[in-house]
Amino acid sequence: MLSRFRSTIEYLAGERDACPPFLRGHIDLLLRCLVWALAMLLIYSFSGQSSKFIYIDF
Amino acid sequence: MIFNTFAYYLVFLLPAAILYRLAPASLRVWVIVVFGSAFFLYFSYSMAGIWGALCLLIFLWESIISRLYRPRSRWCIVGILQSVILLGIFKYWNFFTGLAFFGRTDLIRWQGAFLPLGISFFTFEFYHYAWDRKANKTEAGTLGEYLAFILFFPTMVAGPIKRYEDFLPKLRKEPTAWTLDWERGITRILIGLVKKFAVADLLTAWTDHLNVHDILIADRRVLILWGLAYGAKIYADFSGYSDIAIGSARLFGIRVPENFDWPYGRRNIQRFWQSWHISLTRWLIDYVYIPLGGSRVSTPRIYLNIIVVMLVSGLWHGAGINFIVWGLWHGLLLAGHRLWRRFRGDPSSNPVAVFSSRLLTFVLVNAGWPFFCMDMNTATLFYRRLLFG
Repeated sequence: MLSRFRSTIEYLAGERDACPPFLRGHIDLLLRCLVWALAMLLIYSFSGQSSKFIYIDF
Repeated sequence: MIFNTFAYYLVFLLPAAILYRLAPASLRVWVIVVFGSAFFLYFSYSMAGIWGALCLLIFLWESIISRLYRPRSRWCIVGILQSVILLGIFKYWNFFTGLAFFGRTDLIRWQGAFLPLGISFFTFEFYHYAWDRKANKTEAGTLGEYLAFILFFPTMVAGPIKRYEDFLPKLRKEPTAWTLDWERGITRILIGLVKKFAVADLLTAWTDHLNVHDILIADRRVLILWGLAYGAKIYADFSGYSDIAIGSARLFGIRVPENFDWPYGRRNIQRFWQSWHISLTRWLIDYVYIPLGGSRVSTPRIYLNIIVVMLVSGLWHGAGINFIVWGLWHGLLLAGHRLWRRFRGDPSSNPVAVFSSRLLTFVLVNAGWPFFCMDMNTATLFYRRLLFG
């Protein structure tokens, strides 16, 4: 259960190439579009207050 | 800033990735070299002025010297020493001279000290190449390939730390699978930006309170919240950064090492370090822990080696006593965990024990962050207020 959740999150976040079996087909495309749309919405909403990445100073 | 600027994407990443894929094989490395140099000049100049930009000469000098590296050659030792000395001068000069002369360093203090962009990270790659060439573990490659390795701008500033023998075959391989690489790469970049903008930067509202004034007047329970907020912020910030770096490299068709693997869910401190800043942990094992004797020495020396490695890690993160204390904390945790395992054997699979060990690891890791994000006096005050009111 936990590993299925993990592989789904990693796939939707672009970390894995292989689509989990239960996501194949239209639902896969739909979810990926949703992730992009949601990500762009969040980036647009919060981008005004950005600060330096912490590790750039190390 | 860099990864959260339009310049990074519009001037550097997209043109470089497209040109790289369209260029003939013989020119591909030079696309990386030209864009990597321009990237370094542009962002170094904007951060540290002309002297920062001139630090590009370090890369050029290093690449010339690297052509002399041969298995068992003394030039490799020269390469290792020069990379450590350069890091020492730029990052630790004022810190160590201050310690050595008890702060009375007016004459030798470097007033205009600055850090060249990415020096802590490109030092790792210079060092690794010189060391591995000496041990004959990696091939020399051409000058262009070596320059492309050190000037590959998605990973230049803050990693993930690459290995030459891993990078070279990917550089030589014809980049195919445009659609898959770009879809996965852009997804990764977007997720990285969300982690930065919507999580890390949002948590700044709490972590900004980690200063002397606010700590003095805050309720003790709020201090715990601020401390945990920093733990979440640094994870979102650095894993977001790594996501963008890995996604950017993917646009070129190049896969670079992963840096995080769900670190906060780990059930002991050893597993935590195997999944937090993975490329750094591996570098420290290969180039500090193993040369010190690793686990093939007497038992007390093993514990000492573990603590030394984490002290090096702490000092690498910053020139300050607080970073050394942070490294020591993790060294003691790792040594303590090893000792525990020695007496108690393999970990239990009992769900309560598993949950408890995960929770304990999370608490202990987060207990160390105050030393990471505050100077020594402020971190001490934080703990005094938290523990004694």
